[in-house]
Amino acid sequence: MSIAVVTDSTSDLPVDIAKQHDISVVPLNVHIEDETFLDGVTISADEMYRILPDQKVIPTTSAPSVGTYLEMYEKLSETHDEIISIHISSKLSLTYNSAVQAAAGLGSNGPRIEVVDTEQASMALGFTAVQVAEAIVGGSTLDEAVALAKSASKRAVFIGMVDTLEYLVRGGRIGKAQGFVGSILRVKPILTIREGEAHPLERVRNRKKGIARVKSLVAEYAPLEKLSILYTTDEVDAQEIANEVASYAPDGEPVVAQLGPVVGNYLGPGTLGLGFIRAEPS
Amino acid sequence: MLNSTTKIPSGTSSRLADMIRATTKAVEANRDTINALNVFPVPDGDTGTNMLLTLRSVVEDLPANSTESANNVSRTLARSALLGARGNSGLILAQYFKGLAEAIGDATELTGEHFARSIRIASDNSYKALPNPVEGTMLTVYRECADIAEKSAAENDSLVSVLEDVAAEALASVRRTPELLPVLKEAKVVDSGGFGFAVMLDGALRALRGEHPVGRVLDVPMPAGKTFSGSVKADFVDASEEIDWGYCTVFAIQAEGLDLDKIRDHMDRIGRSPIVDGTEDIAKVHVHMENPGEALTVGIAYGQLSNIEIANMDDQAAGWAADRREDDRLILQTPAATPVEIAVVAVAAGDGLTDLIVSAGMGATSVVEGGDTMNPSVYDLLTAVEAAPSDKVILLPNNKNVVPAAKEVPGLSSKDVRVVTTHSVQTGVAALLEFNTSQSLNDNESAMNDVVGEVGDGRVCMASRDVTVYGHEIRKGMAFATFDDEIVAVGREPLFVLKKLIADHADDAEIITVYTGESLTPEQVSTTTETLENKFSDIEIEVVYGGQPHYEYLIAVE
Repeated sequence: MSIAVVTDSTSDLPVDIAKQHDISVVPLNVHIEDETFLDGVTISADEMYRILPDQKVIPTTSAPSVGTYLEMYEKLSETHDEIISIHISSKLSLTYNSAVQAAAGLGSNGPRIEVVDTEQASMALGFTAVQVAEAIVGGSTLDEAVALAKSASKRAVFIGMVDTLEYLVRGGRIGKAQGFVGSILRVKPILTIREGEAHPLERVRNRKKGIARVKSLVAEYAPLEKLSILYTTDEVDAQEIANEVASYAPDGEPVVAQLGPVVGNYLGPGTLGLGFIRAEPS
Repeated sequence: MLNSTTKIPSGTSSRLADMIRATTKAVEANRDTINALNVFPVPDGDTGTNMLLTLRSVVEDLPANSTESANNVSRTLARSALLGARGNSGLILAQYFKGLAEAIGDATELTGEHFARSIRIASDNSYKALPNPVEGTMLTVYRECADIAEKSAAENDSLVSVLEDVAAEALASVRRTPELLPVLKEAKVVDSGGFGFAVMLDGALRALRGEHPVGRVLDVPMPAGKTFSGSVKADFVDASEEIDWGYCTVFAIQAEGLDLDKIRDHMDRIGRSPIVDGTEDIAKVHVHMENPGEALTVGIAYGQLSNIEIANMDDQAAGWAADRREDDRLILQTPAATPVEIAVVAVAAGDGLTDLIVSAGMGATSVVEGGDTMNPSVYDLLTAVEAAPSDKVILLPNNKNVVPAAKEVPGLSSKDVRVVTTHSVQTGVAALLEFNTSQSLNDNESAMNDVVGEVGDGRVCMASRDVTVYGHEIRKGMAFATFDDEIVAVGREPLFVLKKLIADHADDAEIITVYTGESLTPEQVSTTTETLENKFSDIEIEVVYGGQPHYEYLIAVE
């Protein structure tokens, strides 16, 4: 039985990695003024971050429609017997709902489709999909793949140091990090995703301390099965972090990935972060 | 006249109470001088004020009933002193009252031997209580007084005779303190707390001898050939606080089944700052009224009144009124009903700093104002902790002089209270940044404690008098900067010394936060910001409104 792996664009999977593992990515939508773009397809991350600070334009995002998923699943069913569809936390987006509805829509005629809510986002989601893809190549059944998706997503972690919480607040995704909002001092919040929503992790006095903290967090969560360093606009800083923590990546080469337009819309320019999967406790 | 074998029999708690009141009057008369002996010419946490307020708390709780036995009185005194203690000197003073209670024990007579023992206990406990006991301070005076007291009591057990010897020794001991503590010698002062204790003994002795007035101004016992020329005028106690507080109305209500909360609420509606405590059978009421009769009319509805005292507060020193206002100073910044997992109570002075600390992005649940020259008492801190909306509380003293009082709170509260020993509000802010509601109390305490000692504490203020300290000659009205309690710059203008302080750390600081004080005008604040941005464009400097009194600038170097 051949199993197709599907995820969505909030996974921030670099194109080459998605291709390498044969993972199909369903794009979310980005709405800027009257136009609608497909995340990572018709609008790039760099373009997004150029527009973002512009006060007059507040982009919104929306989940792929049920129809988009139906199309994807139907197309995949031509070449695969089963599908596993791995998605962003349902608390952060309706993407998972669309996928579930589409899977149900295909009915008993179609392939068996399992949809998983990882309660994660960005590369925590992306790496979960990659681990599942790797397991499938290794011969996992669909049930085993689903179990792995669930366990990997529990060991997956997303951490982001944002420049300002403004984007999360106006995007309505501030979640449990509300307690960090409204600081009079120029502090940098470090957030994570817990139970599917934004959660405060720590605060640091300034960006420099924040970068140091991001590096030390890698050590704290080690050993890791997967590691990526994430950024919206500061690739150089991300690369510098990656160089310093390279030894914590399983093959000595952490992935440096740019946060896509949808995720970046809520985090904002200047964000630096991590997406990784902790090793299973032995 | 008392003869040399006079013992104070039981049932003369009034005599003991008179002596305590006399010590308070004596400190009152000498308060400004005691304050002026402060080595740093900064009116912050002054010994005289702290000791006076501590003593006033004790006096407040003296029983009006003079048939109360001496041993019961002294036990109450120990607790009142502890609760009312503020500042390092207040806490050391509380040790004396604790010593007195322990020495008297169940005895019904107050002898010279009891007195000697009380000082010895106070001395031993004070040395034990401090992590770094320093000679040339109140500790030395306690110890040397205890030595003389024991010798004197062995020869003649009369209280008067022992007290005479000890009072004389106290002055001599104070005179010697500059020889033991170099910073005193350089500043040409003697130890303020020690002198305060000597003043108290003088008052007690005069009361015992029936001399009047019990509170008289004493000359500061300076080393041979020197006179203390410190300013006696308390120009730093905010004389502008001329608020009409009316009458301080105190009385007791006796009845069966008294509801203290109900009485308190009632008093709160008609007057200010009501304090009602006691038992079901007797309530002690203390309230500030424009019309004192109203309080009595209300009180009489609850039971029989007694021990009525009405004092016109306009007549009393500004410090007394401000002391009463301490009760109003607790600020609860979250709606009282919202419980939190862990509450953080922080001490701060200045509206900007207070707002910052409780702002949504920082996380403190409430602030106790440690403003002006006053350090909050143990009672103030305990009240804030008890009022906090959680059974788990982290307490940030944010001032070296408040730490001793803060350390008493966990033992007095039934809540799980952890004190993070922050010595400055700058460190307190850094500690708050480590506070995380999703962490356990233990993890939070640990993370916050890690910050202590990591934040450089810079301060800039104007000297309140002439003094030479740590090799720096400072004239009254000059600006000087300290960094971690060492003087690092002296100059004409606050901004000038601020620049020097920052320049010293420009190379290794990652971020410097400058909190501007209440005395700066908006123009001065913008000049500060511009000047710092231009001169130190390489360092990250954040200028924030602090609104603190006394310090033109408070600086955090990280």
